[in-house]
Amino acid sequence: MQNVLSILFCLSLFYLAVTSRVKAYVSVLQFQGILLTVLIVFPFIKHFSVFALILPATLFIIKVILIPRYINRIIINLDIKRTIDPTIQQFTFLLLIIFSMTLIFTTSNILSNSTDIETIPFASGFSAIVVGIFVIIFRKKLIIHVAGFLVLENGIFLFGTAVVSELPMMIEIGVLLDVFVVVFLMGIALNRISSTLSGFEVTSLDRLKD
Amino acid sequence: MLEFSILFIIPLITAVLCYFLKSIRLQYIYSLSAGLLHLIFTLLIFIGWYKPNLPFFFSFDSLSNLFLLILSNVYFWVVLVSFSYLKRPVNSKAQDGKKYYFLLLNFYLFANTSAILSNHFGMYWVSAEATTLSIAPLIYYYRNEEALEAMWKYLFLVSVGIAFAFIGILFLTLSANGTPLESHQLFYTEFIKNASKLNPVWLKASFIFIFVGLSTKIGIAPMHYGDVDATSNSPSPIAALMSGSLRITALIGVLRIFQIVRPTTTFEFAKIILIIGGLLSILVAFIFMFKVNNYKRMLAYSSVEHLGIIVLGIGIGGLAFVGAMYHIAYNSLNKLVLFFTAGNIHRVFKTREIKDVSSVLKILPWTGWLFMLSFFAISAIPPFGIFFSELMIFQGILFSDRPWLLAITMFMLLFIFINMGKTIFNMLYGGKENEAITNENESFEVIHFATIVLLILLITIAVISPDILHENILNISKDFGFSL
Repeated sequence: MQNVLSILFCLSLFYLAVTSRVKAYVSVLQFQGILLTVLIVFPFIKHFSVFALILPATLFIIKVILIPRYINRIIINLDIKRTIDPTIQQFTFLLLIIFSMTLIFTTSNILSNSTDIETIPFASGFSAIVVGIFVIIFRKKLIIHVAGFLVLENGIFLFGTAVVSELPMMIEIGVLLDVFVVVFLMGIALNRISSTLSGFEVTSLDRLKD
Repeated sequence: MLEFSILFIIPLITAVLCYFLKSIRLQYIYSLSAGLLHLIFTLLIFIGWYKPNLPFFFSFDSLSNLFLLILSNVYFWVVLVSFSYLKRPVNSKAQDGKKYYFLLLNFYLFANTSAILSNHFGMYWVSAEATTLSIAPLIYYYRNEEALEAMWKYLFLVSVGIAFAFIGILFLTLSANGTPLESHQLFYTEFIKNASKLNPVWLKASFIFIFVGLSTKIGIAPMHYGDVDATSNSPSPIAALMSGSLRITALIGVLRIFQIVRPTTTFEFAKIILIIGGLLSILVAFIFMFKVNNYKRMLAYSSVEHLGIIVLGIGIGGLAFVGAMYHIAYNSLNKLVLFFTAGNIHRVFKTREIKDVSSVLKILPWTGWLFMLSFFAISAIPPFGIFFSELMIFQGILFSDRPWLLAITMFMLLFIFINMGKTIFNMLYGGKENEAITNENESFEVIHFATIVLLILLITIAVISPDILHENILNISKDFGFSL
């Protein structure tokens, strides 16, 4: 089951590579949030307890409801154009992602011989981290950078489930809250940037230089 | 429980209080009291008069004792001068920033205390990220375009950096596969005890990720940009807070993983990484000082340089490590005085451009002389503390297996000193009279008082060299396995 979810997660990354709509990024984030929630609920089905539901519930609320809604609201409020303004062609971007993913999956497979890791979730998580970074590097719109950062965070979460047996719940929730507040602050900053610097693109941030 | 209340709960309660209190003066009084209490208590713990006992994820050791004292001290002085700073006229948009100033400061103290005292990598990560969240809105205090850009870059770069550090932490758990630590919690102490059993490949990866990730927050080149922009565009007390305490909160994360790496075969690798990071930072500051045109940016780069020296000292080990610990303490005091005085200059000249600042000694005699002394202090002129700590680091490098590093470092530091000196003396003496600035008598303010006390402290600590501090630093180096 973990493998199926991880592969779905990887597919969502490919979708990110080919889509050119801002809204699609939000949907992907929502979809990934649902996958991650199912992933951590799954082990608890056999031995159910209310206490064990706190973390998945927080994850669901933050990653599937609050953050996507918040980003959507920013998009509407700021009247951000629907397309994402890539700096490289979609096809080149897709090739880049396919190449990196192949590399990651092969390396993880080799590593799994010496270390006890779940290859597919491990490699999927790592791929999401790399794709998140690519999105930040190759897209101009700041709101897409936020989405890239969130893809990276989702990747780390998946990666974490593949390597760590269990982090204390308090800390997991702390991590989620931190991510939420980061996005919240970035949203406020984006609002200000669009009104003061009149732009939502990274090119409008060029005042500070050495 | 007493220690937990004073160090954690009181700052948090004060933060909440500040949200509800309308009067800035009341917010100031409460925050200052909380800060003072924190400082007194930390001092008691440092001296050994109080034996603390913290719950689950937190604990005390020599390293956290020293770092907590530095944080507490920096915080107290920053809060002390903040009120007079907030009284200064700002544009109408920036009035908004005053409302949440003390709230965020208190939250900053809470998050930093938690990061320094955490005994668990997960807890450390959550707290370190929280420190970023508390400081980011403070960077945007002036509500102008530059501050906005600086805040965005800082928030974004540091968040991505910290995410990388988290990957490093996950790698650390991978390195524990097949050891007694497997499926145990990520407590530092457990890892240090079982360090030699960890898988070296994953441990190396973990060290790289944690170091590079946290570099964005420490300001180690080449990840220093977000940090420099933020330090140079935030109000002076906040810049002092960042240079004096926030950077070392990030540094403690690197030190923790370095402590784990110490008895393993990865140690040599980690040392080289730290030395490269340190040298690169000094190099970046060295290059920048040739084309400096903004004095706050110059001070921010001076922070990059000194953190570079500290990281270099840690990488060399032995006596240089002890020197680096002293340097952390002195540098934090020194950055306070530099940014406080630079803030005064900014208030009167209303610019950060060096070419528009001249005759500071004539127009602001108090600030001018104190700025000059602070510059002497940061340039390691005796009897200021930095002289002694740098001497120790240099001696450590000279007698290490890489003595040639000393020549490179000294060469770069010499030019940094010359270029910084040239700039600062131009600002202090420069002949160009600025007619827009009235030549009124500068009154003695709380900022001057704080600066004088801190400068005296810098000399006294260095000259007297209190046994307690020395013993604590020796204990830290013993924990790291360095014998002198």
